[in-house]
Amino acid sequence: MANEMVTTTQSIACGGTGGELTAVDSKDGKIIRIRPMHIDERYTEEELEGHFWELEKDGKKFRPSMKASPNYFALAYKNRVYSKNRVMKPLKRVDWEPGGDPAKINSANRGKSKFVEISWDEALDIMESELRRIIEAYGPYSVLCIGEDGHRESKDLHAGGGMHANFMSKLGGYTRETRTPDSVEGWYWGAKHVWGSGSNKGLGMIAPPQTGYNSWNVIKDITENSELICFDAGDFELTQNYGSQFWSRLLKYWEELGKEMVLVDPFCNYTAVCHSQHMKWIPILPNTDAAFDFGVMYVWITEGLYDKDYVETHTIGFDKVKAYILGEDEEGIAKTPEWASERCGVPVHTIKAFARNLAKKVTSHAHFSSGSVKTPYSHEPGRTGAYLLAMQGLGKPGVQQLHLNASAMAKEEIARSTSAPFSSINQCRMFYPNAQSIPRTMVAEALKTGKAKWWGSPCIVYVETSEQFQEFNYPADPQVALAMQQAMAARFGAEPPTEAPKMSKVHMLWSEKPCNMNCWDGGFNYQDAIRTDEVEFFVTNHQWMENDSLFADLVLPVTTCLEDNDSMGAGMIVSVRHSGLTPPACDRIGESKSDFEIACELGERFGIRDQIDLGMTQDEWIKYGFEQSRLTEEIDWETFQKKGFYFPKLAADWDQLPPGMRGFYEDPENWPLDTPSGKIEFWSQALADAFPDDKERTPMARWITGGPAEEGWTHDESLWGERCKKYPLLITANPARFRVHVQGDDIKWFREIETVKIKGFDGYDYEPIWFTPEDAAARGIEDGDIVKLYNERGIVLVAARISERITPGSVMVNKGSRVDPIAPHIDRGGAVNLISPTGQVSKHCKGFAVTGYLVECEKLSMEEYNQWKADYPEAFERDYDPAIGINRKSWIAE
Amino acid sequence: MTKAFLIDVEKCVGCYDCQIGCKDEHCGNTWLPYAESQPEIGQFWCKVNQTERGAKPHVMVSYVPFIGGQDTAIRDFAPEVCMEREDGLVVIDPAKAKGRKDIAEKFEGVYWNEELQIPQACTGCAHLLDDPDSPIRTPRCVDNCHVDAILFGEEDELDLEGAEKLSETSLVWYKNLPKKFIAGTVFTPADDEVVIGAKVTATGEGGTYETTTDDWGDFWLRGLADGAYKVTIAHDGKELALDVDVTDKDAGLGDIAFE
Repeated sequence: MANEMVTTTQSIACGGTGGELTAVDSKDGKIIRIRPMHIDERYTEEELEGHFWELEKDGKKFRPSMKASPNYFALAYKNRVYSKNRVMKPLKRVDWEPGGDPAKINSANRGKSKFVEISWDEALDIMESELRRIIEAYGPYSVLCIGEDGHRESKDLHAGGGMHANFMSKLGGYTRETRTPDSVEGWYWGAKHVWGSGSNKGLGMIAPPQTGYNSWNVIKDITENSELICFDAGDFELTQNYGSQFWSRLLKYWEELGKEMVLVDPFCNYTAVCHSQHMKWIPILPNTDAAFDFGVMYVWITEGLYDKDYVETHTIGFDKVKAYILGEDEEGIAKTPEWASERCGVPVHTIKAFARNLAKKVTSHAHFSSGSVKTPYSHEPGRTGAYLLAMQGLGKPGVQQLHLNASAMAKEEIARSTSAPFSSINQCRMFYPNAQSIPRTMVAEALKTGKAKWWGSPCIVYVETSEQFQEFNYPADPQVALAMQQAMAARFGAEPPTEAPKMSKVHMLWSEKPCNMNCWDGGFNYQDAIRTDEVEFFVTNHQWMENDSLFADLVLPVTTCLEDNDSMGAGMIVSVRHSGLTPPACDRIGESKSDFEIACELGERFGIRDQIDLGMTQDEWIKYGFEQSRLTEEIDWETFQKKGFYFPKLAADWDQLPPGMRGFYEDPENWPLDTPSGKIEFWSQALADAFPDDKERTPMARWITGGPAEEGWTHDESLWGERCKKYPLLITANPARFRVHVQGDDIKWFREIETVKIKGFDGYDYEPIWFTPEDAAARGIEDGDIVKLYNERGIVLVAARISERITPGSVMVNKGSRVDPIAPHIDRGGAVNLISPTGQVSKHCKGFAVTGYLVECEKLSMEEYNQWKADYPEAFERDYDPAIGINRKSWIAE
Repeated sequence: MTKAFLIDVEKCVGCYDCQIGCKDEHCGNTWLPYAESQPEIGQFWCKVNQTERGAKPHVMVSYVPFIGGQDTAIRDFAPEVCMEREDGLVVIDPAKAKGRKDIAEKFEGVYWNEELQIPQACTGCAHLLDDPDSPIRTPRCVDNCHVDAILFGEEDELDLEGAEKLSETSLVWYKNLPKKFIAGTVFTPADDEVVIGAKVTATGEGGTYETTTDDWGDFWLRGLADGAYKVTIAHDGKELALDVDVTDKDAGLGDIAFE
């Protein structure tokens, strides 16, 4: 038996930066088990000397374990590979015909009518004929390539992202759907104007420009010097699910060292409940963090508890913020703890205690991509977060910002950055500027109104702050597009074009990441936009029948990472970063092909295959990726193949590198920030100059609540406006612990965990909505009831979980449950982002706002339930599997 | 020689890896003669029980993995269907247990497989332990645990100091099983300040417990025996007494005005 078992090493479903080493035991082409890799199966501890880091504090040592700790997701991935939701063959919507004839595309039935399975030949025929027709009729820019960042899923060759964009670029161009900077909005749109571009030159979380925008040794500095760790946006225990579970061990080590921790969050999150003996939880109303922070700063200023020398030497513009906080400006309102308490719901004495604890103890802040940084006007809490660190002497020993890109445990000799994998085979197109583009947050608006205007590309990384002052438009001005193409050509040393491209509006959507309605903002609005005749053809490449694919006309089945011959490794979150080969662990499921292979086959049809695969086999590509990398400096191809994975050597001076912002702290003249002044800017002259009339994002952070649209406000999503009278609850909609964003909602073993789903009286597994006992009682809602969660943007059905882990006045629904449409603007699946705001962050900031907005809830009445069943019988009659819920069969016509 | 599990609840981070690892090993895989395949959902040979405790903002969640099948009472009850093993693990033989629904009904952690008409439960992953060629030689729940919360080994080699069992006959030992707590934040309303360093004493039938309020004005009296307590908060010559009953559940008292 054992002789037939084959073990492959994988990095499973961890985005584009890979994840922890995972072993997959397979037999006869079938996966038997997925388990943590025991590194000593391939390397001895002696061999890893100089490759593994070690931290030490008070005689207590911390080293990587010889047993890897894969993310939750990887360990349950058999459910994903063999899911009843897998797309097995290409699917065509029953009432859509190619040709663009409004009478035959039945656009209004997207998300309603079912699909038939067709052969790959038929599917490729449709792709070829529709592409030829649409390009002929409107030009190539009428094709919108959605999801340039791809499925990722720890793939490299097979889904480097944007294979469709790569393919279209060979056909003359495409419109780029640009991934807006997500999960970092507050930093990106706010803090970048305070402390500069930040990590990866653009994300907005702090990093020194002098190291190529990399913050090394932050965890080491916290370990050695911090007394208090403040978790204010995001969930450390949860966010690690992107790549590993190593951080649980790190937190345990910090507990052992006696670190104190404090969490300011509307939800008593998993970091808090899993480490509760060391954690103080401060419940706060969603998106009121700026008020809380101002109250804290008021205490610091009036009690002299901040680092005045640092503020003097390392910052500019503090006087303006100080005057605002003390009420010594034109507004004249002192931001006292009492003022803050009225807004954020935190008791006055706790705000004061928080301020004094931070002043008294060496404190670092951990920010993990959720909560206030993803809210309406998130630039305000992003900036107050930066202010708090500035007033504590950012960069001082133990005073750092810990974030996703500052979590590398040690620098390797051949490291590219704190997050990048050691090799890239298929250079992803997501960072390529394009002649015409639409930010992901504005696709619906662009489709519905035919135009869009925004500022900044806005690309997620490698964008300087000043780019946010640049205006962009859809449709693009052909002369502007020409200039961009010429600049690109010059960059690559190619012949520059002389003729302006023919720009056109979008008529075809092609998605390699079909989850916009659920992963991004304003999902119902997006559904409306897809259901118009403007969209003549919508095709998705995807592994599973879910979310945007339900609204497609054609769905192309894609392999999972465990079926592909690929290479990956891990660039972030893991205990030790590695590079590895990931050969197929099992046979292909159904007739699936990778995005790379789909592009190759289409290339065949258009006579451009050699431009896609460059004439190389997959094995040659993988070897090419290795040879292009710096891995060759340390290991040869044969040994790499034999071992399967490799941990690069640590840099000789890794433990001597200045941690985080230490260089700036010690020598601001020689370690300047890339802000206009080189210092931390409490008040930004650049913002004042660029947008003198912007009352939402003014040159410095303020308490902004918005107001009516007719007065020029983007949002009225706070408890201090008009809409709250109708929708009085603030919602927290962070990612879930047992999903990764919108992925994995069909993992049956997770669905059995009591916090993951709640079975309604009708046997349907609803997404939980977390209520305080008092807020539930006020609405007559009991534990387990089906709840109508709504605002004017629509209705999402969920089920009540009564809990003490919630701040009164707020509710919590994890983002990412699958879409299950009942009717336009009514959904049963619990996909909460469907009712999130459509107005982005603020007027000049087109990122998403997906948490901290207004909703109301009521118990779903039997009358309404029965009425829906009568009005939309097909929605209630779809196949429902007791283990995974809605599935592929739900959407296949009989 | 007898094998045993040792679960340290304080180390557990509620990741469910043990529960998932068990399912990964046994759902869809048949390990005869040790075990038939587990149904795709509904059985939990290793089950993480979570309990939310306290009241905001003094809340915690206890995660307690439970392995009901490793109880020698099952073997005592139905020796004829259990495998004979030197290591003492309880393994219900699927070939002999057909129709024995009574076992599933009697023991928590033993599940009835309606389709196969057999009772099923944890086997200690005996198929891995007995196979010298297996890539892992421990139960999957143990191999999947990344915080060493579940250990497995010879009972006399495990560090069982302070450990306890849920039943006398179980092969599963626990450390740090949840005990009750009383917590609160003490503040003075006149100036709206937290009270730091107040002495907090709980006295009751379960004994006397003491602590002081920390820099946040918080006190956590942990490890309490069930029962009713008189809680006294003393500071600056002033004293406040409260009656708190933690017989059934923990007490998160929230903000406590101290005047």
